[in-house]
Parts: sequence; C-alpha cells; structure tokens
Amino acid sequence: MSATTGALGSGRSLQAGRASLASILQGPPRVPGAGRAPEGRCDAMPTPGVVLEQWTRILRGSGGQEFERQRWPGPGPHTHPPVSLPTADIISTVEFNHTGELLATGDKGGRVVIFQREPESKNAPHSQGEYDVYSTFQSHEPEFDYLKSLEIEEKINKIKWLPQQNAAHALLATNDKTIKLWKITERDKRPEGYNLKDEEGRLKDLSTVTSLQVPVLKPMELMVEVSPRRVFANGHTYHINSISVNSDCETYMSADDLRINLWHLAITDRSFNIVDIKPANMEDLAEVITASEFHPHHCNLFVYSSSKGSLRLCDMRAAALCDQHAKLFEEPEDPSNRSFFSEIISSVSDVKFSHSGRYMLTRDYLTVKVWDLNMEARPIETYQVHDYLRGKLCSLYESDCIFDKFECAWNGSDSVIMTGAYNNFFRMFDRNTKRDVTLEASRQSSKPRAVLKPRRVCAGGKRRRDDISVDSLDFSKKILHTAWHPAENIIAIAATNNLYIFQDKVNSEMQSRPGYTSLACWSQVGRGLEKHPEGGESGGVHGKTFTA
Amino acid sequence: MVGGLKRKHSDLEEEEEAKWSWGPAGLRSYQQALLRISLDKVQHSLGPRAPSLRRHVLIHNTLQQLQAALRLAPAPALPPEPLFLGEEDFSLSATIGSILRELETSMDEAEHPPNPVALPGPPGEALPQADPVFLESLSSQYLGDSGLDDFFLDIDTSTVEKEPVLAPPQPPHNLFCAPGSWEWNELDHIMEIILGS
Repeated sequence: MSATTGALGSGRSLQAGRASLASILQGPPRVPGAGRAPEGRCDAMPTPGVVLEQWTRILRGSGGQEFERQRWPGPGPHTHPPVSLPTADIISTVEFNHTGELLATGDKGGRVVIFQREPESKNAPHSQGEYDVYSTFQSHEPEFDYLKSLEIEEKINKIKWLPQQNAAHALLATNDKTIKLWKITERDKRPEGYNLKDEEGRLKDLSTVTSLQVPVLKPMELMVEVSPRRVFANGHTYHINSISVNSDCETYMSADDLRINLWHLAITDRSFNIVDIKPANMEDLAEVITASEFHPHHCNLFVYSSSKGSLRLCDMRAAALCDQHAKLFEEPEDPSNRSFFSEIISSVSDVKFSHSGRYMLTRDYLTVKVWDLNMEARPIETYQVHDYLRGKLCSLYESDCIFDKFECAWNGSDSVIMTGAYNNFFRMFDRNTKRDVTLEASRQSSKPRAVLKPRRVCAGGKRRRDDISVDSLDFSKKILHTAWHPAENIIAIAATNNLYIFQDKVNSEMQSRPGYTSLACWSQVGRGLEKHPEGGESGGVHGKTFTA
Repeated sequence: MVGGLKRKHSDLEEEEEAKWSWGPAGLRSYQQALLRISLDKVQHSLGPRAPSLRRHVLIHNTLQQLQAALRLAPAPALPPEPLFLGEEDFSLSATIGSILRELETSMDEAEHPPNPVALPGPPGEALPQADPVFLESLSSQYLGDSGLDDFFLDIDTSTVEKEPVLAPPQPPHNLFCAPGSWEWNELDHIMEIILGS
C-alpha cells in the first residue's frame, strides 16, 4: 500500500501557459491517439473541442477509421464517447465543504483538485466569489490485485469533507477499495535562525556555533500542504460506492455493493460491519446496495438504497448488525409502465438526506423523488427528469447508458432539487412552485455574466425554434455529478473533464426564471487545469495552466 | 449517439413505443433481441477489472424476466424442446448462476485478515476454483457440450425444407463458442427454423 502518494499542493505557484492554446490552434494537425490506446493517459492534450475536430479529420482520412473501430470492443464506436479525451481527466465526483468555501473534485486518474472561493474584493467587483485552484494532489494510484488478477482502478468514487475542527481542512477520498483521509494545511511563515541546524534542517557542526540567536518566523509565499493522515484499506471486497461522515464527527461509513462498514476516523485497522446483504449462495443474488448516507442530525440513523428501487432506514441503536431495517421505503410498481426494464430504471443511483433531515431525495434513471421520513408507502413528490427517454430504453440498454449513475442534490433551503441528464443538460425542480427548468453546461452558454438560457427537449409534437429533438441528444455528454453550495445559490456541475460553477445572485429561490451566470469554468486537460475566461474577469483568449 | 442506434434498431424502437400491442411473433422477436443483447453484455463484461456488480445483477434479473416471459408465452409452432428454455440441457438460470459464481470467486476473499471485527460471511461461501479468466468456463458451461449434441438431434427437420445445410457440418460448439464473437446471423437462422416463424 503506497500511503504517501500525495504530491505537495501546488498552491498558488501558478504558471501562465499562454502558448498552449494558441499553438494548438495554429499548429499542424496532431493525431492525439495514434499508436496508443485511447484510454491511455496523455501528457499534453489540446482542448477537447479542438481534438474533436482533428479526430473528424482523421476519421475521414484513410486508415484512421479502421484504427478507431479496432480499438473499441462492443457494438460500435457510436456507443462510446469520442476518443478525444484521456479518461484520467474525466471528473468522477464533486463536493463542497461545509462552509462552501472549498470545492473538491476527484477524477478517474485518481487526482483530487481543491478549489477555493476568492474573497470578495472591492476593486474587481465582478470577480467576487470566483473559485480558483487551491491545491491538487494524487490521492489514489492504480493497483493490481495479484491474488485475483484484477486491476484496481485509481478512480475517485467519492469525496466527503470532514467538519472543520481547527485551521486545517480534512477530507475522505475513496476509490473502489481504499479510503484515504487527507489533511490540507496552509503555511505562510517559516522559522529561520535555528541555532543547531541549518536552513535544510541538517545539524550544524557544533564547533561553528559561536553565538546564540532567537529563531524567528519569517513570512513566505503561501504554501498549501496536503498529507495523507489515514489509509483505511482492506475493508471491502466489492466496490465502494458511498462514504458518509457521521454527525458525531467521529465515525463514518463506507458502503460497497453488498456490505456497509462503520469506521472510526482515527482507527484504520478495524471496522464494524453494520449491513451485509450478501446471500449465502451468490446464485441467489438479486439486489445490491447502490448508495448510502448518514442522517444529518441523528448519528444513529442511516439510509441505504438498492438496485430494486427501495430505501432502507436503519437505526444503529436497535442492533449492532442492521440487517433488519427500521423502515422500508418502496413505491408499488405502476402496472401500466411495466416493461423488461422496469427494474433497471427503478434502481436508485443516489440518495441524499435534506439539510433539515426530514426528507430524502432519490434519483433513479428517469425520475427524482422526494420521500418523507414519516411516509414509507410512496414518495411525496416525483419529478420527471427526461421522460422522453422512456421509448428508447432498449437502445439505452444496448449502449449501457441505462446503467449510468446520476446523482442528485438539494439546495441550501431544501426547496429546490437538482440532477443531471444527457447532452450536458441538468435539471432543477422547485418544490414550492412546481416549476422545472433544463439548463445546459457548456462553454458557449457560460459567457461572462450571461444568464443561462433554459433549454427544451422536444419529444414529438410541435417543435419550437430552439428546441432540441430527442434524436439529436448527445448521450456521451452526461452530467452525473453535481453539487450545491450549502448556503448560497452556487452550483458545481461536472461535465466530463469540465467543471462549471454557476451562481444565481438574484433569486434566492426559483420564484421566477432562474438567473444562473457562470462563476468559473475549469477544464482538466492532460493532467493540467485550464481556466476558461468566460466566467471570470480576466478576459482574453488565454487560459491559465496550473501544473500539479 | 443513440440516434444511430435507433436507426439500427428502428423496428425494436417502434415495437417498444407501441407498448406491448404486438402480435406474438413481434413480441417474441423483441424478447429474443433483448436476450441476445443481454447475453452479449454478459460475455463482453469480462475484462481485467472486476465488473460492476450492480450492472451484472440488473442484467441477470432482466434475463430471468425474459426467461419467464418466454416460458409463459410459447410461440405457436414451438417444437417440443425450445431452444433457450430447455430446463435440463440449457438452463439460463444455471448459466447466470455460474457467471455470478465466477464473479464471486474472482472478487471475494476467503478472509479479511486486517478486519477482524467485521462479521465473517456465511461458511463455505468461497468456492475453491478462482479462475479470473472465466470466458472459457462460461462458454463451456453456457453451451454444455453434453446437452448440445442431444439438442440438435432433437430438432425435427422434417417440418422444414430438406436442406442438408441445416445440419452444421462441424460440431456446433465451434459455431457458438468463438469467445466474444457470436455468430448471430447463423443463430438467427437456426432459431427461425426451429421456431417456425
């Protein structure tokens, strides 16, 4: 187990990569993936838009198409995203900390990027509240299980922030198997003038010490240090899908496909198994755990969702092993909508307690539902996310899109909910006014201070001018991971390798049309980060390149 | 993306949109297409990484539903021994069971040494063979050699035209079991003849 994999945070040591975009745009056409597997990491990749164009060129040329098709197994390249993007750059989780000052993303390459909200400044009023890179570090590395001959991906499945106890911040990051606790500290002073050791910390030759001095703290450039504090390994046989920090601030749980474990944050060599749904005979396996979360206020309560569409609320006071649930939330199946895909589309992909602790939000393939903890028979609200896909389930099954795990989020006051969809669309539902809106996360739509325009998908019938037909939706552009600032109307949207941060300053709720404007847009490109100027005050063509 | 898919399977889509208002033949071909897709998925999910258990279980349950549906609504001119439903020779559930069992052996550990407090699983859950490459075993269990020959002997070819091509010249094992590349056209052809549709 490589515990100390974290590079020290790059902090504010930024380099302006002015040459990158321009040279790519004007340079000779490159063949990004030629001669290497498309999933492999590339050290320097141009922006995705540019690459797409180049790929088109290659595909039209002779031989290129052959290469493309050989690489992908399965039904054909149309079911996979364009090969332009190194997989490692794809963002796999987004999470605000408890104050909203920090925002962390994890990616398929095992890296964690932390963004920090800039303090508001009077000189540049438009840049207030912008999120800038605070630190990046490698949390997980690819591993190989030699006993089972299986690769263990470095992909970060989930990140959870710990409540802040002192000046330092801490977060848990997990891949399929191993959870790591990282501590993030700032340093802007360093001690100088020790008597017995020199600047590098080496002991001085005592004969050269002729006088004594008082060491002093000298200010220095701010440095963000990230260090691995704990590694919680070997607790899971299956893939970890959720972690959740308890409100007691001492314990957390981790859930895999069949079991949930309870850990103490300070103890890495043991965990308590609190749920185990593994059947004695794996042939009888018909249901898996898909997500799990602690209640925000009651440290004894937690919920887990299943692939059969049910939610189980468990009370740890009742027994040490919570195989018997306290409450089972399940909606009876609608016989009129029954099909072979009923179970797949009812599989819960995410569950989130409301901030108040009274409600639970679940996402399945086509809907989001709000459940009242006091009513088990059915959800109190059901919202259609993209009902126009109901007639396309067979194709979505064949292309595996039907297994996509969309997440969902509450706003700070539990009055609006948000979840992702395809074509870089995301949806918001106002629980009070029953209004809903479809917005698009794209660089074109996030021009400086321009309000996001609502989008509409046309499913048959009359089509308006700006409508998008169901058939032209891009199913490779999916928004699976979204996060809502705990108090303000700031949302973070992960769209493949891009992170969009939008803010609605006008509407505290969605009373009228929401007015989301772009706060920041970051792209992960070839293990570097590029900021797109649309969102910020800086303007100009060039993005900043942050080297980790 | 799926636009292309839709064109490819436009017949499927229309049938799906028509919500079960098809005749038995249409329903059957829809179910068989689903069956084909599902079995293809089961075969293609074998890679160097442990597959997603959620996806596996959902495909498994879909397959079981399909099996039940196919059993409930037999086609009009069904031969006595249906191709995908022969309980003795060719059980779908046994196939899936074996896949899950393989999955189990490849993913599960016999014990968790650094995790002593965790409750141990039920005894005897770890199976002795832990072969990570279970493609071979999958295809051999899936189309069990023993059953297949008998099965082809059972086909009553007198009801169809007397074409000598129908009886495969080489052992049927080769026809089906090239790993990862199902000869679906040939399988379709045979199924059409068997099911008399």
